[in-house]
Amino acid sequence: MAASIRRSVVALALCGGLVGGCASGDTGAAEVWDPIETPNRFIFSINRAVDIIALRPLAVMYRDFVPDRAQTSVRNALDNLGEPVTAINEVFQGDPSRAATTVARFLVNSTIGLAGLFDVATSFGLERTKEDGGKTIGMWAGVEPENGGFYLMLPLVGPSNARDSTGMMMDYLVDPFRILTFNLAGNNWDAWQAARYGANVVDYRSRTIFALDDLERNSVDYYAALRSAYTQNRADAIRQKREKTDTKSELERRENLSLVK
Amino acid sequence: MPLLACRRVVFRLAAAAVVSGAALPALAADPAQLVQGTAQQVIDIVKTKTGADRQAAILQVLQTKFDLPAMGRFALGTHWNQATEDQRTRFLKAVAIAEARAYSERFGQYGGQTLTVGKVTPRANGVTIVDSRLNQTSGQPIKLEWEVRNDRITDVKVEGVSMVMTRRSDFNSYIQNHGGKVDALVQELETRAAR
Repeated sequence: MAASIRRSVVALALCGGLVGGCASGDTGAAEVWDPIETPNRFIFSINRAVDIIALRPLAVMYRDFVPDRAQTSVRNALDNLGEPVTAINEVFQGDPSRAATTVARFLVNSTIGLAGLFDVATSFGLERTKEDGGKTIGMWAGVEPENGGFYLMLPLVGPSNARDSTGMMMDYLVDPFRILTFNLAGNNWDAWQAARYGANVVDYRSRTIFALDDLERNSVDYYAALRSAYTQNRADAIRQKREKTDTKSELERRENLSLVK
Repeated sequence: MPLLACRRVVFRLAAAAVVSGAALPALAADPAQLVQGTAQQVIDIVKTKTGADRQAAILQVLQTKFDLPAMGRFALGTHWNQATEDQRTRFLKAVAIAEARAYSERFGQYGGQTLTVGKVTPRANGVTIVDSRLNQTSGQPIKLEWEVRNDRITDVKVEGVSMVMTRRSDFNSYIQNHGGKVDALVQELETRAAR
């Protein structure tokens, strides 16, 4: 079963993630494979212009003028809407028990937590996790997690690569809330979607102001520094997932061993 | 069966290594203590000093606790070999100032952060990895990983992002976009240091 899941996930990944077969070796993030650097830099400059004119000021206002409690509640509600996608990814990562915990979180927070505004589940001992398709592909792809295929600067979204953008597309396709609004809200389903993604973007940007400002100020080539930092950060997240499964399978193996004896 | 026995021996050896690793620090300087001590020093500096004072104090910490020459050499990558002796010295000096400034500006005012040191993992190549968490008064703790070699810190990873690796990528790209000349980078860093 696990093997067949693994095979199908890898097959899915093939449409994007593994096209970047260029091995970056152990130098890893120092030389991120970026064959379309010129268009990437072009998109990056547009993104930065939009960021400087609109997004960053908005995020700063959101961070400084919206009460902290309201920000936490917005964060909780958005996280709650993302919970089903996390659960689906956890199934594909071969961790159904963790997926069950995530579903339990979703049910608790959607009801007692008033549509996700309050994270009651955490106080019940149900810890939050956040998974996405990029991590799922990265976990099963048999390459260094630093190698996510070609680097890609997405308009408005920002840094990504073949693996993570494929994962993002998968997440979008399986997202129950997208499917639900598409069916229920009829003609203005895109307005609902836009509101949700817009809120996500502002919230996310408000939490990355500090790190990105710092990176920009202390680099001589911001594009290259961000490319490296993004790749390393994602690789670290994927490596953690892999190590966790390795420890788990190791324990299972030893448990089976003792059963045989 | 021999394979299983072999594995068991490996586990035992690993366990023994962990135990002896915990007992050893009395002899050599303890990497965990080095990290904890450095963090405490930086926190004290941020608490008591501001402006140029703070930057000078941080520079002193960087020079005594970090292996700046090694970090600089790695950050410059293959270009290090092409650089002249003069360029190397100028480069290292400018990078030290840049890092000191970055650190002294990064913290602004002390916000009650504390550092909890976790697992210490010795690696075969003489490097020790020290895991730690930077606890903030609000929000999630930040994951920090320190690389220690010969009683000096050689790298800090923030949420998996290595400071040295990011610099390396940054510097390499800058040099490539400026005709492959190390001089362009050194000059840029010096202008920034002089500001």
